[in-house]
Amino acid sequence: MMELALRILIFGAVVGGIWGLVASGFSLIFGVSRVLNFAHGAAFVCSAYFAILLVQLGNHVAVAITAGLLVSCLLGVAVYALTRPIRHNEVMVVIVTLALALLIQQVLLLSFGDRGLSLTPLIGGLQRIGGVKVTNIRLASLAFAALTMVALEHFINKTRFGKTILATSQDSEAAMLIGVDVEMVYLVTIVLSSLLAGMAGILYAQIFAVTPETSLKALIYAFAIVILGGLGSVRGSMISAFIVGYILVATITFLGARWSEFVMLLAIIAILVVRPTGLFGVEE
Amino acid sequence: MRSYAFAAVFTVFASLLPLVVPEAYLYVIGLAYIFAVIVISWDLMVGYTGQVNLGHTTFVGLGAYVAAILQVPPRIGMHFDVSPFVAILVAGIAAATVGFAIGIITLRLRGYYFALVTAILPLVFMQTVYIWRDVFGGEEGFSIGLENAIATTVVGRYYVALFLLVASLLAILAIVNSRVGLRFKAVRDSEELAESLGIDTTKYKVLAFVISSFFAGISGATIVHYRVTVSPELYDVPLMLLVILSAVIGGIGTVFGPLFGGIVVYLAKNWWLRDLIAALGLPVNDEIVLYTILIAAGILMPRGAYAAFSERLKLYKLRR
Repeated sequence: MMELALRILIFGAVVGGIWGLVASGFSLIFGVSRVLNFAHGAAFVCSAYFAILLVQLGNHVAVAITAGLLVSCLLGVAVYALTRPIRHNEVMVVIVTLALALLIQQVLLLSFGDRGLSLTPLIGGLQRIGGVKVTNIRLASLAFAALTMVALEHFINKTRFGKTILATSQDSEAAMLIGVDVEMVYLVTIVLSSLLAGMAGILYAQIFAVTPETSLKALIYAFAIVILGGLGSVRGSMISAFIVGYILVATITFLGARWSEFVMLLAIIAILVVRPTGLFGVEE
Repeated sequence: MRSYAFAAVFTVFASLLPLVVPEAYLYVIGLAYIFAVIVISWDLMVGYTGQVNLGHTTFVGLGAYVAAILQVPPRIGMHFDVSPFVAILVAGIAAATVGFAIGIITLRLRGYYFALVTAILPLVFMQTVYIWRDVFGGEEGFSIGLENAIATTVVGRYYVALFLLVASLLAILAIVNSRVGLRFKAVRDSEELAESLGIDTTKYKVLAFVISSFFAGISGATIVHYRVTVSPELYDVPLMLLVILSAVIGGIGTVFGPLFGGIVVYLAKNWWLRDLIAALGLPVNDEIVLYTILIAAGILMPRGAYAAFSERLKLYKLRR
């Protein structure tokens, strides 16, 4: 019993860290440019698949990972370019990014098939924590995810460019008036958040296996996390990611993986009924 | 009035079609009519109240499975007999009820919650088919038996599909042209303004969603009685994207645009698109082509093909 509790505690944190990276990126784009980026999960799988492809072709894992991250950044640029002419039209932004996500999913399905693929872990070995075996890569990915989120928080709140981003998210017209290049800010935040999703994809592929379907799964978890954390609140996303991670691991342990989407939906509905602005959300 | 005349011309044309078109084609055209009902009911929610519904197929699938279970009650350990028309009506009411519950929770919040929650719905309902495999039949679905088909001949089914389309079209036209329809549009154009005029925006958004879900439910149920089988692809995301593509190409918020968009896109997908791709030797599948078209259409002609074309034509005339 103790061992099971410890297992859920550790694995939930690992999973929460990964989905936290995805969700904070999703929340960041939304908070700054009000773009609901349904192609966010695509950045997650694209980086993983590109890295796996390069490893299969005989490249070193580190090279493959760097290239994979670059691909997720490029996808961010593509999303920026596609949504720029229709940003004022919320309906079309959702439709176009969703179509892009499914397009990418189909391309991956045709090129790699639908069976799960994994990336060789960057570090091997395992640790025993109170009788539970945990691979080093899981611990490393938790540490990496936590550090990245702390760095992101610092970047947004403490650096000059981060404050420019904050200003744009609060009032883009006022930001423009004091000389902020708003388009530049939009581009940087979309690339940055796609990079966060790409990092999560790389971590995920080293621990679990990715399939083209993972893109939609990543998106659902990101939704659940941002709704729990409050739409547009990056800090809320980071904290609620761990809550969702624990819910997920507990669901999969006790009910089975098929139930995970079900439980996510119930969680979202419960939050919307009880506290629609999320745990850390701000009133619009 | 012009739109009713348009509907009359369409009805006359479509009811004469069986005289010239062979049965194999009629079967697909009938399905295209039912698909068009799904598209115009989606458009009622998205085009008229401006709320992005990404889970319309939830209600199509829900209607389909409710009707199918009603025709094969032993699957849930019961025994009774209902006529197809009762089953279709019950399926519509079931879909509308679920739509009401989800609408009450998500539509009272302003902004993006509705889009996020509806995006998840089809995936969740998909899983029910696999979790309760004995009841819903897993990925293969199940047959409801030929004796429960909506009509014995293909021509008969075609006319039932046409009847569904015309009846739904007239009902939706009546709604959008009424005072209620005006309020839907007020909500779409500015929620603040609508509220300041005393319109209960939540009430009208939920109302539109319930009506739209009802039509999705009866369409799903009719598909089941038309094809005599039910399967989880009626819930699935590709069908959702096909609905969105049809409405975007036809022009969101115009009723007739989505109607013809739906018929054209459905026939294209099920008739010649795959052959065309094979003939051109492209290394892609039909879904990639459709999604690419959707991205291009969304960016280049967000108001639909007809509007984009007539605007270009006007510009061209002005320049001369």
